[in-house]
This record gives sequence, structure tokens and C-alpha cells, in this order.
Amino acid sequence: MQRTISFRWHRLSMTMLVLVTLLLSACGSAPAADPAAAPPTAAVAAAPTTAATEPALTTAAPDVAPTATEAADTATAETPDTTAAGETVTTEATETTAVAETTAAATTAPAVVAPTLAPLPPLAEGTFTYWGGLIFSEEANDMLVERIEQWGQERGIPVEVVMINQNETTQRVSAATEAGTLPDALDMGRDLMLLLSQAGSLEPLDDVYGQVGSAHGGWLPSSEAANNPEDFGGMRYGVPFGTSGNLINRRADVLEPAGFVDAPTTWEEIGEMALTAQKPPEHYGMGFALSNVGDGNLTTSMLQSWGGRIADDAGTQCTIDSPETRAFLTWITDLYKQGVFPSGATTWDGAGDNTAYQSGQALFIANPGSVYLNLVENDPELAEATKFSALPAGPVMRVAPQGPNFRTIPSTSRFKDQAKDLIAYLADDAFMTEYFAKAIYGPVLESQREFPIFVEGPVHQGLLDLAINGTAPAFPDVNNAAFAEYQTNFLTPKMIQRIVVDERSIDDAIAETQSACQAIYDKYK
Amino acid sequence: MAEHVLTEGRRRARRASGRLNREQSWLGYALVLPVLMCLLLLVFYPFVFAIWISFTDRMVGRPGRFVGFANFAYLFGQASFQATVRNTIVLVGSVQVLKLVFGLGIAVLLNQPIRGRSFWRALVLLPWAMPAFVAYLTWKLLYAPQGGAFNMIVLGLGLSNTHIDFLSTRAWAMPSVVVATFWRGFPFWVISFLAAMQNISTEMYEAAAIDGAGAWQRFRHITLPSIRHVILVVVLLSTIWTTNGFENIWLMTQGGPSDTTMTFPVLAYFGMQSLRLGEAAAVSVAMLPIFAMLVLIVAKLLQED
Repeated sequence: MQRTISFRWHRLSMTMLVLVTLLLSACGSAPAADPAAAPPTAAVAAAPTTAATEPALTTAAPDVAPTATEAADTATAETPDTTAAGETVTTEATETTAVAETTAAATTAPAVVAPTLAPLPPLAEGTFTYWGGLIFSEEANDMLVERIEQWGQERGIPVEVVMINQNETTQRVSAATEAGTLPDALDMGRDLMLLLSQAGSLEPLDDVYGQVGSAHGGWLPSSEAANNPEDFGGMRYGVPFGTSGNLINRRADVLEPAGFVDAPTTWEEIGEMALTAQKPPEHYGMGFALSNVGDGNLTTSMLQSWGGRIADDAGTQCTIDSPETRAFLTWITDLYKQGVFPSGATTWDGAGDNTAYQSGQALFIANPGSVYLNLVENDPELAEATKFSALPAGPVMRVAPQGPNFRTIPSTSRFKDQAKDLIAYLADDAFMTEYFAKAIYGPVLESQREFPIFVEGPVHQGLLDLAINGTAPAFPDVNNAAFAEYQTNFLTPKMIQRIVVDERSIDDAIAETQSACQAIYDKYK
Repeated sequence: MAEHVLTEGRRRARRASGRLNREQSWLGYALVLPVLMCLLLLVFYPFVFAIWISFTDRMVGRPGRFVGFANFAYLFGQASFQATVRNTIVLVGSVQVLKLVFGLGIAVLLNQPIRGRSFWRALVLLPWAMPAFVAYLTWKLLYAPQGGAFNMIVLGLGLSNTHIDFLSTRAWAMPSVVVATFWRGFPFWVISFLAAMQNISTEMYEAAAIDGAGAWQRFRHITLPSIRHVILVVVLLSTIWTTNGFENIWLMTQGGPSDTTMTFPVLAYFGMQSLRLGEAAAVSVAMLPIFAMLVLIVAKLLQED
């Protein structure tokens, strides 16, 4: 009997072992939302900025690249001098020009009117939850939390504010959407908003969008363009609150002694400056990520400025395989082979370029302003030696993507009216004046253009310029879900990696990327 | 006649034991039920659900529809997936061999009456006790081309004229990840083997020594067979953990450069970034056959004993 029982238990335990192991392995294979280094969504990743102290987009952008302003079919700032397509843009602007234009625009901004808010009943039960996006400025994060808590106190509403790493927004929102535990309101980028709105997960916000806009002199055309109802099935699902984008940061203390006093206006100039001024291994010229992170997608903007396109005008057929792509790849891989990129650029995480610059290992990087904020606090000497300029032009056009971040309300929110009230409350000019001074966002409303920080701050001047003159997200490509997936798969930096890491030919790398790209676009047909 | 009586007696005994088992079994089932419910709810349901999702085009916020093997066809057609399969085999194979060899070696060493044995046993646990996040970021710093400890040693000793880009070159990336992953995981093997070795009777070693068996022979014919079960279970568990490892790759290389270190979990993570749950689930499900084979082999070996 003992043998029988023993045998049965043995078989049973074996069966259980096999079963449980299989189950655990299957469940364990999907990674948990991890670390800080997770790549951002395409919208955040591909959102560069512009000039601050030096050439501004307003004066240097070639004709081929319409700004977000133009995309909105609205005349705002003065349009740039134009050059023929294919020419290298060398027109240069000064800080004075950018600021003068900014100031002129600001003085014409309409008067600000505070939004009229209907009194709200306190919540019957439960707590109002808000997910805010963490940014590098702790002061700005604290200000947002305090402002929302203040709103709760004034309205008699219990609130809970959760600040989440913006690199993890996609994962968190995905999990919460599936679990039905989304907050009552949250911040997100445009790409995620597009996907969630298509899934019916967001509440239309045309009313509060109009209310906030009219109370602050109207929306900037770039914000209007990014929130175009045509892209969202005829509705608006978000209220913009801050524009993001990249500026070129450069080491003037190294470049000027080498004879490069003026800011670079083209990518080729950056390459030449980098080659001439760098002294490896002390410092390298181009601190641009070529890795599988959001920063690596700057290479897509570079490719586009060479005239390359990800897809056709219909946004359905991939067009990576082109002479323009070959020209771009030849340029960037030649530079790589000449040792202009710091070691590790092909595997950097999201902070790789920041670290390289802050540790003095890179002469140029593209950054939305967080590096500057860090340097001011921790390395004033390097901050003083740093100058800013717009993303430069390529041989064909300038591509300087900008995109606002949005406040949204999930359709599952229990307190939609309260959430709308909060969004209007957060757009208050007095609060946003203080907030923008600490945060690294550009303006989205006309009234915000006259905030002191956009006249005085070197980085914020660039962000203002970007908000006015930057190119629309994904431009010149169609900003659809397929493009977003192309970017989240980091196919452009991977294409470069195939050449510089695997030593494959440019034609091979293009063929593989074209195939992978088309496979993505085919899924959306 | 006597044989017939004996056979009948056996039958009665079997029937009695059967009744006894059935009576006892109700209590057994009742006691096991909560655990079974937990398994069904927390493990079996997600498992089946993940398989189902892998056959749909489900995205975040959308229910999705059945698409057959479309996700798998898309996946298998990607260059990244082919690299992923290769890399996973290389990574897991290399790491497990290293862990086995060093794990056994160090466990044997720590099983000897050496001076400060308790200290060394505690010390060897350090990599396992350290949070993975800290461990792999530290390794990343050690590998750093500029200012990294390994490069300073290499340059200082004159082994190379230029710094070595450990994590960003095809030749070095995978070996570097293998070493870091091995370092983080080997203490589990050491401790498991050590615990098993301590259960082996010293009399067996003494008897073998008297019979003239050398150290290698004692290890091969006494130690290894005695801890065989533990080795098999540790290999099984560690293989699953290593295959599912995410932090080691993500924190050091993000699967790069050029997919050189891309593994299943990282590929699934990229699928999640696009909100395409069906494709991400397909990556996970694609691993199942590998695990199934491994588990069956180990189960077979255990059963043979």
C-alpha cells in the first residue's frame, strides 16, 4: 500500500511540477513595468525643441518644412526666409531676433479672462485621483501636487495625486485600462491619447478645451494643430498644458576656441564642428543616442531633414528605401566610423546623452532643458559654458518636432465634471506663470507667451520659439498609429546600428528596415 | 492452494486500502482546495488568458478579435525575433553552464572545514541579496568605456591601447551580459548545492577513502549522485528565471546593440510599448515549447530516480 501511495504521490507531484512550472514560466515571461530607463512613447520621444540664444526656427527654417503654426493654417509669427529645397540653410538669427519676435507677439496677445466655473457639489463618495507626469524639476512636480490639493480643499473634494514617471505612462495606463482602474484625470502625450481615444477610453473635452482657450486669449496654433479634431474622429480628447521639444546644447567653451563661435544651422555643420573640436577620449563631438530609446528617435527627424520619409503621403506605404535615406545613412555612419559618437551611444539608456554631457564627454546633445536645469544647480560652470540653439536643418528641410502634453479624462472617470473643473483650474495664468518658471515646457496658450520666463530664460525662449515655429509631430510624415509604432520599435536607430555595429551594408540595413516598416504599416490597413 | 489464499489476501488488502484512501481523500481534497483555487485564479486563468490573447489582435482598451496565427507569423518574420531566439539560447546556455561549474566548485569548497567558513558562506550570498536594479547598474558602471573599472584595469595593465566598449560592440556585449547575469545568480546554486551536500553522510566519504577513492572519485561517485535531484530542480528553476530575466538586459543594453542581446522579455516589452497586447502575448507564448521540453526532460530524469 505504501508503495502504491508513494507511486501515486510521485506521479501526482511530477504532474503538478510540470504544470506549475509551465504556468509560472508563461506568466513570468511578460515583464513587469520596469525602471526608469524604459523608453518613452513616440510622442514624447520625438518632440524636439528650438533655439534659445541662437538661431531660431523663425529665421532659419527652410521653406519645405511647414511649422506647426502653418499646419494649423493660422498666421502667427513671422515666417522664415526661405531657401530652395535641397540647399543647406545657413541663414542665421540672433537671440535679439527671437526675443524681439516673441515680445512683439506677446504684446499683441489678448487680455486674459479667468474661466467662469460653475459651483460643484462635493463628491458623494470616494476620492478623486489624478495622475500627473513627473518631470525633472522637483519644484514643478511639487507645485502641481499642491495646486491640485488646493483645488480639492476649495471644492471640498478629497483628492489623491500620483506623480508617475512619464516613461512609464504607457505601461501604467495599459495596465489600468485593462484592469478598469484608470484615475479620474491624467496627463499624457499625444500618441497615447490618439490610441486611447480610438479605443473609446477617453472623454471628449471640447467644452473645457473651448472654455480654457477663450479664457486665455485662445490656443497657440501649434496646440490647435496637435489637437485637431480631424485626427481624433471629430472630437477633442485632451487639453494641452505644455509643449515639449529638444534644443541643441553645445559646449561653447570648447567650440569657440576651435573657431566655432556661431551656432550650427545644419546637421552637416554640427558634424564638421564635432570632428574638428573633439579630443577623444576626453570628449566626443556628437552626444546623440543611437540606441533603442526615445532619444534615439531623433535620428528619424534627421533622416526626414535629409528628405527621407518613413511612409508616403497617405501614410500607408513605407518609403524608407530611397536615395535620401542612403545619403543620410552615409553621412551619419561615416561620422560614427570617424569616432565622433561617444562610446556606448548605441546602447545608451534614456539618460545616456544627459550623462555624457554632464560629465563633459560630449560637445553636442539634443535635450528639452532638463540638462540645463541640472547644470545650473550642480555644475554652474558647465551651465555657463553651455549655449542653446534650434535643431538644425538637413540638406532638404528643417524638422524640429514639437508636441504639447495633454490633460485628459478617462471615460471610466467617476467624476467627469469635477475633472473638467480641475483642468480649467490648472490653466490659471497666475499658477502657470510660476509653474513654467520651474518646468521645462513651452507655452500652449496665447496668454502664456508673455510670461516672464519665456522672455528671460535661455531655454524657455527656445521652447517658446519651438511652440510657435516647430514642425508638427511626425512631419513631413503622416502622424498615425503606424508611425507611432515605427517609432516605438526604434527602427531608424536600429537601422543605423545594423551598419555601425553589425557592419552590414547600407543597402542591407535599408532593405531590412523597409520590410519591418511595411509589416507595421500593413497591420493598420 | 496456498498461492490462491495469498492472492485473495492481497486483493482484500488492496480493496481495504482503496476504501481507506477514498475516505481519507475527502479531507485531503478539502485541504488542498484553497491552494487549487489560488492556482486556478492566479496562475491558470492568466496563463490560458495569455494564450488566448496571443491569437487575437487585442490592443489596450480594445477587446480584439481572433486572428489565428497572424501574431506568430508577424513575429517569426521579424529579424529581431530570430535574433531573440539565438540570443536566449546563448545567454541561458552559457550562464547555466557557468553557474553549474562555479556553483558546484564553490559549494564543495564551502563544505570543507575551512577557516571563517560562516563568513564566506554569508559573503557568497551577497550578489543574490543585492537588488537586481542596483547590481546591474553597478555592472554597467564597471563596464563603462570611460572611467569604468574594467577599462582602467585593461588600460593600466597595457592589455589594450584603447578602451573596450564592453556593452556596445557585437563581440563584447553578450559575453558582458553573461558574466553579469552569472554573477547575480550563482549564489542560489551554491547555497542549494551546499544544503544538499550537508545531508550526505560523512561515513560514506570515510568508507570510500578507506577503500582508496580519491577526491575526484568521491566527488563523482558520492557527491554528484547524492545531490542529483537538487541539481535538476535548481537547473530547472534557474533556467526559467534566467530566460525570463528582464533587468539584466534592460538596464545594461536595452537589447542592443543591434539586437545582439535581445531576449524574449525585452522583445515582449517592446510589444507592450505599442499597446499591442496580442503581439506581446505571442512573444511570451512562443517561449512555452522551450520550457515544456525542459520541464519534461527534468521531470523524466527525476522520475527515473
